[in-house]
Amino acid sequence: MAKAKGYSDPKMEEKLKDRYYYREYSNPDFTKKVHDLARTVNHMCFQCGTCTGSCPSAPRSSYRIRLFMRRNVMGLEDESLTDPDLWLCTTCYCCTDRCPRDIAPTDVIMAMRNIAYQRGIVPVNFLKTVQAIYQSGHGVPNNDVNRAVRVRLGLAKDPPTTHSYPEFLPGIRQIIDHWHVKEKADKIVAEAEKHG
Amino acid sequence: MADTKSKVKETKAKVTDQKPRIGVFVCHCGTNIAGVVDVKAIIEYAKTVPNVVHAEDYQYVCSTPGQKKITDAIKEKNLTGTVVAACSPRLHEPTFRRATKEGGLNPFRFEMANIREQGTWVHMHDPAGATEKAKDAIRIAVAKASLLEDLTPKSVAVEHAAMVVGAGIAGMQAALDLANAGIKTYLVEKLPSIGGRMSQLDKTFPTLDCSQCILTPKMVDVGRAENIELLTYHEVDAVEGFIGNFDVTLRKKANGVLSMAEAEAKGISGGGCNGCGDCEPVCPVIKPNPFEMGMKPRKAIYIYHPQVVPLLYTIDFDSCIKCGLCVTACGEKKAIDLEMKDELRKVKVGTVVLALGYDMFPVENKREWGYKQFDNVVNSLELERLICASGPTAGHLIRPSDGQTPKRVAFVLCAGSRDNTGIGKPYCSRFCCMYSLKHAHQIIEKIPGVIPYIFYMDIRSFGKMYEEFYYRIQDEGAKFIRGRVANILEDPVTKNLHVYAEDTMLNRPIDLEVDMVVLAAAVQPAADTDRTRKLFGVSCSQDGWLLEAHPKLNPCGTTTAGVFVAGVCQGPKDIPDTVAQAEGAASAASIPIHIGKVELEPYFAQCIEEKCAGCGMCVNLCPYSALSLVDKEGGGKVMQVTEAKCKGCGTCGGFCPGGAIWMQHFATPQVIAQIDAFLLGGAK
Repeated sequence: MAKAKGYSDPKMEEKLKDRYYYREYSNPDFTKKVHDLARTVNHMCFQCGTCTGSCPSAPRSSYRIRLFMRRNVMGLEDESLTDPDLWLCTTCYCCTDRCPRDIAPTDVIMAMRNIAYQRGIVPVNFLKTVQAIYQSGHGVPNNDVNRAVRVRLGLAKDPPTTHSYPEFLPGIRQIIDHWHVKEKADKIVAEAEKHG
Repeated sequence: MADTKSKVKETKAKVTDQKPRIGVFVCHCGTNIAGVVDVKAIIEYAKTVPNVVHAEDYQYVCSTPGQKKITDAIKEKNLTGTVVAACSPRLHEPTFRRATKEGGLNPFRFEMANIREQGTWVHMHDPAGATEKAKDAIRIAVAKASLLEDLTPKSVAVEHAAMVVGAGIAGMQAALDLANAGIKTYLVEKLPSIGGRMSQLDKTFPTLDCSQCILTPKMVDVGRAENIELLTYHEVDAVEGFIGNFDVTLRKKANGVLSMAEAEAKGISGGGCNGCGDCEPVCPVIKPNPFEMGMKPRKAIYIYHPQVVPLLYTIDFDSCIKCGLCVTACGEKKAIDLEMKDELRKVKVGTVVLALGYDMFPVENKREWGYKQFDNVVNSLELERLICASGPTAGHLIRPSDGQTPKRVAFVLCAGSRDNTGIGKPYCSRFCCMYSLKHAHQIIEKIPGVIPYIFYMDIRSFGKMYEEFYYRIQDEGAKFIRGRVANILEDPVTKNLHVYAEDTMLNRPIDLEVDMVVLAAAVQPAADTDRTRKLFGVSCSQDGWLLEAHPKLNPCGTTTAGVFVAGVCQGPKDIPDTVAQAEGAASAASIPIHIGKVELEPYFAQCIEEKCAGCGMCVNLCPYSALSLVDKEGGGKVMQVTEAKCKGCGTCGGFCPGGAIWMQHFATPQVIAQIDAFLLGGAK
């Protein structure tokens, strides 16, 4: 329709496409797939907003869990997975505690993240965490500032983790390699860096 | 009751004195049945079943031409029994019995095979399986129909009196209607005054008339009606009997005060409570008044509010210290009896209307909204008292923490309703949207500059003039925020509240600071509902509300004949719907009383005397006290059935060690024949 009217503004055209979202862009299998992963009644959302109202991320970011629940009900796979807000959930489970329909929105987000990962849509900073774990066994490895604080507090310079026992690192790497997580992370990061 | 005692059965040999000739009629029910199963195949099969001499199908057997097919076939083919394979007997058994009777057979020679509810509806995706199941159902029904015997329904007289349990607006309306129809009506109320929840309300939506102003005339009518015997502070203790003859034991709870009539009866001339109230000021015990939601004190001797009916003081013996000061204050009237005990009393009624009402859901269970944690979070019934001229603040809305007038008030709708978490209620409480709109209007009217914020998911303004009322309140300046409240926190210094929600229309999370929060809490069945309904043998639906006989076509009846329901105890409803249902229930309850007799299905047990050993073991098993042991001619004992009490449950028949009990219409040979027909597969 938008095309037929011939708006010359490409941004406007992109926006107007949206009105057919439930036909052209909807993938009913997506709702089902999320259900199978999240094991919650994700299709029962009635959009009351209790989740966003409960969300500690919402007042501080553009993350709106209710919108993701809506996209999920409507099967809007691409729109859900390509929205970087998907990764702003802290998984605190406040929304899950309070949802009057007894849905677990947190698990829906986690399921969508898993599907996004399968499709290689993951923000680079998350993948760098994977690389960090692979290197050091820590998502956030110890650093010199921390070490100084620890020493001042009378603690050992490094915590009793892989930092102190690097002989356990191969085991961790084996687990990561088994699922090819590092491999995939490297690939996506390289691609992202190539595109600037 | 003597005429309904059974003659002891002599022999059952005559049941099969004639070779059975059965006609089978298969209904298409439009496409409900024919759209799934192969009707032609079923007819062909039916013709091969033993004893079947006639089989045909028709689009709607319940229609007039369909019924004519039954009557015609009975006459032409000289049938001894009929089988209709169609819907559930709940719907059309009476129809086909009538058709069987018109054909010249006893109506109990009819048997129904349910191939729709238990066939094509549940197996709609398995036509072949449904067809086979229908064949089985027909074969089984034919087996029973071949052994059916002639039965005659018994009729019993109906007591010309009714009982209404609960004297809220529903119970009062039902009692007034019954009384005006010339029926003696006992109106039973567990509290000291009639009026119920409606008497606690300030105004009513959408007309905004004062609740007490429209209610008190009815209360006075009830108090004065000649045909109504008002039994306040009474509870139902036990129920025996059946439609037409309910024997109800009532407990008159000790209220410690003699009414004028009671005093007269005790020979205290001119004495008894006249409601002067001299006793109240001297009473040293102070308790919260539940009528004011605990926000106003009352004494141990009290009335709830000035307009109580009957105007009679009540002593709360749980808190009374029996100091006797009130007795002195009462003086010559001698109305107070501190040693009064509960009394039991039996009344006999023909029909009963249950109007048991509702309680507020304990919304403190939803901890995120802070009810009972934060001073300024109240529920809507508390707000109702806080804005009522006769309430604890004489109608001045103040917030509980500091007595200040609130300027920003948040209303939380669906507080515990539409909640599938298991903590709240899954249903819509139905009147909260409208009363919250009304509350918004009332505070705008009372407090200049106040802003009501209404947090809602959907505004359900479904009644007459309700949507117009919504329009009006929005026009008056109420702010509507489409989003369910996620949680509420209190500022510990100011006692103001922070309401967290999402404005889902703007995709924007909100942190709104307000002076007061009103939770439109869900409603739930009144505390005593479960006990009372069990006494009357009434079922409840999964959420605890009383179960109506049919949600659309019999909304006032229950599955227990002679017991009817009215008002919120059957499901949340507003005042107009409650009154309408009460009038419906009263009308339905008056029908058997006016007819004067009811027909009972002849499904009662019979004793075969020559087999009965007189052991009496069945007597104690009977849940309805319908059996007794009597002396037999020529010595010994024999069991006897009071047919009007027997509900045909079959407990005795299944148990009797000598096989001496014959369950009419469900006799052992009939049931065995059905099982055989099923297991042995019949002739294929």
